[in-house]
Amino acid sequence: MTGVPLAFYIGLSAAMFLIGMLGVMIRRNPLLLLLAVELMLNSANVALVGFSRHWDDSAGQIFALVVMVVAAAEVVIGLGLVVATFRQRIELDVDQLSTLKG
Amino acid sequence: MGERITFAIAAATALVCSIAVISVRDAFRAAVALIGALLSVAVIFVLLSAPFVAMIQVVVYAGAIVVLFLFVIAYLGERRTVGAPDRLARWQFLSWVAVLTLGALAVIAFFNSDLAGFRDDPRPTGNIGDPDAIGAAFLDRYLIPFEVTSLVLLVAAVGAVLLARRAVQREGGR
Repeated sequence: MTGVPLAFYIGLSAAMFLIGMLGVMIRRNPLLLLLAVELMLNSANVALVGFSRHWDDSAGQIFALVVMVVAAAEVVIGLGLVVATFRQRIELDVDQLSTLKG
Repeated sequence: MGERITFAIAAATALVCSIAVISVRDAFRAAVALIGALLSVAVIFVLLSAPFVAMIQVVVYAGAIVVLFLFVIAYLGERRTVGAPDRLARWQFLSWVAVLTLGALAVIAFFNSDLAGFRDDPRPTGNIGDPDAIGAAFLDRYLIPFEVTSLVLLVAAVGAVLLARRAVQREGGR
């Protein structure tokens, strides 16, 4: 018993995902919401790299790197929306931001 | 044994920092807690024999993305962002129900899994996480996903510029 079994990594990944999901649902500040989404993406990465180790294949790590790029793109757009909302003097609260207008 | 101790410390830090991210109301502190969670996950990646992914995690995630967050938080300043709870706040308990249900499902799936080697010591692996293995895989088997990824980044950059320009124009700026 020297190494860490895959089950531990998957358990950690599931726990982090659930924490992030709870954060997305209970927070109303869009900045905190984006941070919680980052947690969810990271937990998915832990699972991907864990299975990559399990099957001895680098495909999972490649997928994890692609997920990081998507996370970066998501943060850029999300923070752009937050700043655009802020400049229009609207309250930063996702429950209030319920209308879309071109 | 050392690997298990390292995993226990990194996993505990990751979970504590994750809980801090969603429980702290101050966005700045939440972002700093996210750095802790991301660095712990980087340690986990090293344990999973993925040193390149761990390095990218530190440089891109804990470095660039969180710094971007901190810049925006500093730009928005100390303004109070969330108003009084409205009629939706009453239904917040439903999110706890959803999370607890999903957690129970995960536990059931976890203990019923019959994946070979799920609970055993990991087998030794080849050099799947080395930078040269990752680079060769990206330019050989996964060339099209690699190129599509660059397209995603381009679209995100153009979208961010468009959003910023629109906000400035509406204010009557340049």
